[in-house]
Amino acid sequence: MNTTTNSFRFSRREALKALWSGFGYVAFAGLAARAAEKDALKASPLSAKKAHFTPRAKHVIFLCMSGGPSHVDTFDYKPKLNEDDGKSVNNRFRGGTAKLLGSPWKFAQHGQSGLWVSELFPEVAKLADDLCLIRSMQTDLPAHPQAFLQMHTGSFQFVRPSLGAWTLYGLGSENENLPGFITLNPPLNNGGSQNYGSSFLPAIYQGTRIGSETRAFGPAMAAGGEAKMPNIANTKLSAAGQRAQIDFIQELNRERVQRDQFNPQVEGVIESYELAFRMQSAVPDVMDLSKESQATRNLYGLDGGSTGNFGRQCLLARRFIEAGVRFVEVGSGGWDQHRNLKADHERNARSVDQPIAGLLTDLKQRGLLKDTLVIWGGEFGRTPFAQNDDGRDHNNKGYTIWMAGGGVKGGLAYGQTDEYGAEAVENKVHVHDFHATILHLLGLDHEKLTYRYAGRDFRLTDVKGNVVKDIMG
Amino acid sequence: MQHTFAHACSSVVEFYRNLSFVLTVALSLAAVSTRAADAPPLDQLIQIRANPPGTAAEKSSTAEGLAFFEKKIRPILADKCYKCHSADSEKVKGGLLLDSREGIRKGGDSGQAIVPGDLRASLLIKAIHYGDEDLAMPPTKQGGKLPDEVIADFDKWVRMGAPDPREGKAPLAKQGIDIEKGRQHWAFQMPKKIGLPRVKDARWSRSDLDRFVLAELETKGLKPVGDAEKATLLRRVHFDLIGLPPTAEEVGAFAQDISPKAFEKVVDRLLATTQFGERWGRHWLDVARYAESSGKEVNISYPHAWRYRDYVIKSFNDDKPYDRFLKEQLAGDRLPASDDTQRAEQLVATGFLAVGPKSHNTRNPRQFALDLADEQIDAVSQGMLGLTIACARCHDHKFDPVPQVDYYALAGIFLSTETDFGTPRFVQNNNVAPLITLPKGADVSDASPMPRQQLAAMRRRLEQAQRTRDELLAEARAGNERPMGANPRLLGATTQIAILGKQLSRYDENGQPLRIAMGVGDRLYPRDTQVLGRGEIDKPGQTIPRGVLQVLSPKKPSEVTEGSGRLELANWIASPENPLTARVMANRVWLNLFNQGLVPTPDNFGASGQKPSNPALLDYLAVSFVESGWSVKKLIRQIVLSHTYQLASDYDARNYAADPDNIYHWRMSKRRLDAEAIRDAILSVAGKLDLTPPQGSPVASAEGPVLQLIRPMPAFGGGRFGGPTTGDGGSPFNSDRAVRSVYLPIVRDHVPDALAVFDFAEPSLVVGNREDTTVPSQALYLMNSASVQKLAEAMADRLFAKDLNDVELGKAAFQLAFSRSATDREIKAASQFFTRFNAAESTKYSTKELLGRAGVVAFCQALFGSAEFRYLN
Repeated sequence: MNTTTNSFRFSRREALKALWSGFGYVAFAGLAARAAEKDALKASPLSAKKAHFTPRAKHVIFLCMSGGPSHVDTFDYKPKLNEDDGKSVNNRFRGGTAKLLGSPWKFAQHGQSGLWVSELFPEVAKLADDLCLIRSMQTDLPAHPQAFLQMHTGSFQFVRPSLGAWTLYGLGSENENLPGFITLNPPLNNGGSQNYGSSFLPAIYQGTRIGSETRAFGPAMAAGGEAKMPNIANTKLSAAGQRAQIDFIQELNRERVQRDQFNPQVEGVIESYELAFRMQSAVPDVMDLSKESQATRNLYGLDGGSTGNFGRQCLLARRFIEAGVRFVEVGSGGWDQHRNLKADHERNARSVDQPIAGLLTDLKQRGLLKDTLVIWGGEFGRTPFAQNDDGRDHNNKGYTIWMAGGGVKGGLAYGQTDEYGAEAVENKVHVHDFHATILHLLGLDHEKLTYRYAGRDFRLTDVKGNVVKDIMG
Repeated sequence: MQHTFAHACSSVVEFYRNLSFVLTVALSLAAVSTRAADAPPLDQLIQIRANPPGTAAEKSSTAEGLAFFEKKIRPILADKCYKCHSADSEKVKGGLLLDSREGIRKGGDSGQAIVPGDLRASLLIKAIHYGDEDLAMPPTKQGGKLPDEVIADFDKWVRMGAPDPREGKAPLAKQGIDIEKGRQHWAFQMPKKIGLPRVKDARWSRSDLDRFVLAELETKGLKPVGDAEKATLLRRVHFDLIGLPPTAEEVGAFAQDISPKAFEKVVDRLLATTQFGERWGRHWLDVARYAESSGKEVNISYPHAWRYRDYVIKSFNDDKPYDRFLKEQLAGDRLPASDDTQRAEQLVATGFLAVGPKSHNTRNPRQFALDLADEQIDAVSQGMLGLTIACARCHDHKFDPVPQVDYYALAGIFLSTETDFGTPRFVQNNNVAPLITLPKGADVSDASPMPRQQLAAMRRRLEQAQRTRDELLAEARAGNERPMGANPRLLGATTQIAILGKQLSRYDENGQPLRIAMGVGDRLYPRDTQVLGRGEIDKPGQTIPRGVLQVLSPKKPSEVTEGSGRLELANWIASPENPLTARVMANRVWLNLFNQGLVPTPDNFGASGQKPSNPALLDYLAVSFVESGWSVKKLIRQIVLSHTYQLASDYDARNYAADPDNIYHWRMSKRRLDAEAIRDAILSVAGKLDLTPPQGSPVASAEGPVLQLIRPMPAFGGGRFGGPTTGDGGSPFNSDRAVRSVYLPIVRDHVPDALAVFDFAEPSLVVGNREDTTVPSQALYLMNSASVQKLAEAMADRLFAKDLNDVELGKAAFQLAFSRSATDREIKAASQFFTRFNAAESTKYSTKELLGRAGVVAFCQALFGSAEFRYLN
């Protein structure tokens, strides 16, 4: 292995020498940066790396509610909306007028902080003092694929690395035996794997998907079986025998890289094998929920019918975080209530409320919450106006996400929408700001977390993004 | 449904900005308010209507009437309405112009604003009365509702016959989209064959195509690398053209053929194989979002979809002219046919329109029809035109010059089309349709027959279900209960009856499958459809004549005169006059040979897509494609015989620094094989690939919801459909007869793991460009899946059969897997592997022979797993 690496380095040095004499500085700078970056990655590109400054959070659990949960029915209390229920007002989204639809759910104040939370989230409400609501979120477009992609990658026009990939690139992983970025049950649409992809970042930073909204994982779990990663165990070979096999594969791969001089794709294959090998022992261990106590199972609602599926995902998320995984996304789909708001929002909320409260409580008990940034939210919110009588349309101009743990102020409601919840009016937080803030909480300066590609430096926030310092504890 | 809408809308900003709130409510009698204030006295209406045509106008043209208009009406219109409803408006709302007589009479998207003498039919009157909130005008920011006396003036004016001196043609409402300006977009202009560009290195080019590439490289200061080695080139062209590695014999023959035509001969040989169509047909199936089930909420199987798959494969093998290929898929039912076989083929072709994803549980049939038309528009426009027209369902397209009315012009065509997808009616399926019976004399292939035993079992089961139903109904009647609804047993029985009945009806007495296909036909009464405000079913507006995109019809498009209009649509798309069609296909072909398109967004040539990296080259290819008679094989041949295609994939630091993505083709890009090629190559190397196309598909005997069928059910042959969930798609790896990947059942949301793990195209979407990921799950699959292990055993057995010594065996394995000899270092690595393997595994095996065999199996599996196996140089 050493000889391979050395000769590879040597050939690059040779190449650089040639560049010095021949082709000018610009080309050299690009390659030198690449070389330096390689050195910085040391043995593995997943090694834990130093943050830009002291991080408040080390891990992220993103509870992603795809479809767009309604903020005015959950965490953004609008008494005026209820008062004016049925009244026609200007529809700023579509022009003309539209009828306001008061929230079918009651709101109450909770905790010391007195945060308003609706009865859709009775269990999460009990933890109000841990929540940091951002009630003034904005994203560019009120359409699922665009907003979902922008939430995950900052861009919907171009294929760009995802938030999790940037995080992993910036910080590495604390457990080299597990993928550093895991996504459970992501939707297959709305950009699909782009939402956890690495784009131009090295392939090893892309998220590892377990299950999907429509496939395998969900039903298997709902049926009570423990979720498994396919092909995680080798039934034929001993560990030593398999290691010999993999070393042979890797030797062939390195030979390939050497012949090709530079081949990031094959380097990606090499890394994927090493990780796969280690995952074989690490993943089943982490995903084995059988050792969890009944109390923990109850806390997450594992045996509770509709909460079982999401509960398992939340418990898995905790176990992954505990094991050192950097970024875990947990998906809950079907929040797009253009109609049947009453029934379907209630059903959705019920299936996630207990598991989320269980997750926060559990993280707290284990002392993990202070290091773990938990984020809850969808790609946008919903209009205060009715659609199809019992439904709401997409709202990208004002919606709520919340964070907990990971160095954010609990019991805080940041930003405001107007009296009906139609549009953010105070302390607006665009998705770019949201990303900048998350990176900041992780100890990363979003302006410095860059990757050179095709001749220029790229960042998650492009040329935008302001860190929302007011929400930090 | 709403979900689907919003997904289709990439241009929602436009939607909100632009959508008129003026007159978006149905112009239907039901919607007309019956309040007294709106309604003129009945006698008055009768009186006016009794006037012969023209009388009202004459009367209204009196000086008195005109004076009334000038004094009472015009100032209000100018003050309150012109801002949004005149030719000078920055943005005309609702397509409504009130600044000319013609405009006000013609009305906007929702219908006529003023109907002289008819208050009820005059939407403007309705609007200013503020009776309907959705229609209320003027808006608050213009001062809100008009004073009562002004409203009374308007009423009076309409009753007078709406005298209006304002001559002049109402210009077509702009709707925020300037079609003429839109035509400036590069992709909407005809491809031009320009003269060959000048190049410095005149000797490099082997064809005109190369000149275009080289000119661009020289401009960018890039220098092409050297040529690929022969073995590399052979492997490349084999995978690219037929999706399979070359055999040892083919490698040897090519190595020895030193004639200048050697490569050309290989290319011609490959183009003539049936494997060519299996490879290139699959590329089209990605675009055609081909699958054998509906996907979405209920996911109902489409047992006859495979006929369309086979049609596509055959068409590529026949080198059917691409324009013909498109016409058949859009309107094969309307094309003349010389005999029953051709007729059958053309009918099957229209399966393109029927195999898309559908929400069969949609309750409202109109909604279902609209969503179906939308899905068809999406597949046609992205797949054939490289445009995202479905974005214009709810609003004008945000990026491209496609107004909403154009969408509904197309929607009218598809709404006038009956889509025959043939699903049984049961509790979750509210939308059923027949299938097409193929003509009797046609020479077509058949699905597998149903074994008699199974047929009998199904009949018994059906009878049992019928008995159960009858008993339950009798019980219910006796107990005076409402039979349906609450009883799950009854529901189960009726569902079974529906599904089994449908299934049995697809076979004759002897279990021979009927010759039926998915496809489309014209409705009995084709008609134009109305624009739907915001795409919502309850907001119909102006009726739009069926037709095609304005931006791509500089001359007045031919009107739909007969039938649904699909034939006209097909002729318009599959035409040398259409600037997109040839370009889009040329780009798809290029993409599949170079791993990236000249336009990197193959399904979007619109303004939000990316521009071509080499526009002159794209145009050159498109024009010569058409000139060749739309021959895909000729196009492929032309490209693979170019110097550009035959370049090595070598790294070059200087070129790389300037063009890391190889956009300008200074080398051949290294690329991963796609999922099918990886699976087929493993099978091929293992000697387990059966190149005989199968009969039909495992799905062909399945009816009803896929989830129900995946569970082993005796009625369905004890889980014969269980394949898709077992991971390998009908377990073809485990049988002695493994078909090519293109023939695996493609059930939405249950794509075989062997394909899914390597980025198979999502079968619910038009996919011109698959993703390319490198993730541990792929390594895990290759290391641990039982199927790959079995095939490694097969490869080992194949090697053992040759009676070679250890070193020879190792070398033969490399030759088999990579079409090249092993290097010394690789031989050394292999020998080290065997030493370590034997040490680690020796205790497991009773004899040296068994241990030795296990070692060779693991060795073969390692070759499958190596990067070289799945990457092309």
